[in-house]
Amino acid sequence: MLEACVFFTVLCGFFGLIFKKNLVMKIIAMDVMSTGTIAYYVAAAARGGLMVPIAENPEASLTAGSYADPVPQSIVLTAIVIGFSIQSLMLVGVMKLAKDNPTLEVEAIERSYLP
Amino acid sequence: MIELTPALTITWVAIPFFIGFSISLLPQLDRLLAFVVTLVSIAYAGLLFVAQSPQQLELIDNFGVTLIADSLSGFFILTNGLVTLAILLYCWRSDKTAFFYTQLILLHGSVNAAFLCADFVSLYVALEVISIASFLLVTYSRSARSIWFGLRYLFISNTAMLFYLVGVALVYKATDSFRFEGLSVAPPEAIALIFLGLLVKGGIFVSGLWLPQTHTEADTPVSAMLSGVVVKVAILGLVRCALVVPEVEPIVRMMGVATALFGVGYAVFEKDSKRMLAFHTVSQLGFVLAAPPVAGFYALTHGLVKAALFLVAGSLPSRNFKELNQQPIARSLWLMGVIAAFSISGLPLLAGFGAKTLTVKALLPWQAIAMNIAAVGTAISFAKFIFLPQSGAVTAPEKVKNLWPSMVILLGGLFIANGFYPEAYSLENIAKALITIVIGWALYLAVIKKISLKLPRMFERLEHLIGVMSLTAVGLFLLAILLTVPEGAGG
Repeated sequence: MLEACVFFTVLCGFFGLIFKKNLVMKIIAMDVMSTGTIAYYVAAAARGGLMVPIAENPEASLTAGSYADPVPQSIVLTAIVIGFSIQSLMLVGVMKLAKDNPTLEVEAIERSYLP
Repeated sequence: MIELTPALTITWVAIPFFIGFSISLLPQLDRLLAFVVTLVSIAYAGLLFVAQSPQQLELIDNFGVTLIADSLSGFFILTNGLVTLAILLYCWRSDKTAFFYTQLILLHGSVNAAFLCADFVSLYVALEVISIASFLLVTYSRSARSIWFGLRYLFISNTAMLFYLVGVALVYKATDSFRFEGLSVAPPEAIALIFLGLLVKGGIFVSGLWLPQTHTEADTPVSAMLSGVVVKVAILGLVRCALVVPEVEPIVRMMGVATALFGVGYAVFEKDSKRMLAFHTVSQLGFVLAAPPVAGFYALTHGLVKAALFLVAGSLPSRNFKELNQQPIARSLWLMGVIAAFSISGLPLLAGFGAKTLTVKALLPWQAIAMNIAAVGTAISFAKFIFLPQSGAVTAPEKVKNLWPSMVILLGGLFIANGFYPEAYSLENIAKALITIVIGWALYLAVIKKISLKLPRMFERLEHLIGVMSLTAVGLFLLAILLTVPEGAGG
């Protein structure tokens, strides 16, 4: 169920990327898609359990199955940072582009730049 | 002699990033610092060839970072070093700012790092750094046009990388590790998603249609870098997957054949010199993929040739072949282009011949016919360069002076790389290469030169490029099911 919701988010973003006409909307759709991907990693991390993987005292035995997997979470942290930086770079690009193409409609932009 | 130690490898990976950012602080020394970085890379690649056994680095545990340094990555790193050096020398007397050199060296460093990666996550990080650095280089001129094509590149590569990430998560779920080996036990959808990401980044087959226009719009040295080296990052990822996971090797070989024919089909009818070269990159990557065990050598020769040709094309008076055919160009310029074109067409005495022979030998029977057709197509498309009118009376434009040092490196590299595979020089192989070239030239002069066919560009629009990704994903998924399920049923 959770996974179905996550994939629905990814697909929502993907279709938004295809069907939205405006460049800013496309970037937002891409953000939705990356949110879905990140959620998938979080869901994958919680397969084994939901507890924070920190042992309170060294003697406590880490029973398998009750702790969340820290690896996917740390990986996805990198992915979040990268996604964020790419998105901000794209928004700067769009700001520059808006001077020549105030509507930011992809179709109009492509008509003028693709020979 | 310096030993190849883990510390040396790590230092070498870190150096470009350290120096790259130092260039921003010391803009007076920009070219000198960049020069040092490229020399270090070339020296490191040399070490990799000398070292007897491949080096494998493992950080933390089986879910940490894995790096492999062997002679396969040596070929790719050497390509990267030589091409960056040539571009640096080409730009030496231009008015490029320190920002340009910073980005160039960061791109160089991230490409180097990506060539060593042996797990999906470090490859992901390297690929994303490459996207950002390439975007900044493509948009270096700051014109609205270049920004649009840069944005288009980011859109496509980022979407592809999101699919890739989902695939990586699936691999992790199946194996609790991110190594390439995990692909053999991963579900078919993981293979489909990861390959989708790599195919798009590498510009393979239909998902590579974003590549030609992006490489065309960039500045000449940037096109050379993108086409010569950057696309090979994803290719090396695919090649490594094919080498460690035999189940996916047929997919990689199939994609190689498909893109070789697809790219050359576009290249033959293309009238714009830079677009022709870019489409031809799509095709040549097919040759690299078609025979994974010998991918390195072909990638090296292609990188050198493509960088040389892009630099030459940037110095030609026009980009349109029709206009170029009407007035003669300077002989020196023509000569440089012709040597490179000969090498890529596979003429003996140049490294392209050895690489092509080696690749053809490693092909499976079902691939051979298609790859020979692609080789003829290569000869046809480069006949456009070879048969350009030239004359010694025309003085070369001023910027050709900057071209000489880079050409010495790139074309000299082609002559020297010949020594990698001297067994290629048998009578049969030479005859085959010459026949391929003669057929190609005859077809060009008799047919292709006269007809003008304009292939539609509709599929190069952003929505189509992204939409094609979903189709590619479905296709790859079906392929992966077909190829992996019988074994699963057997076990």
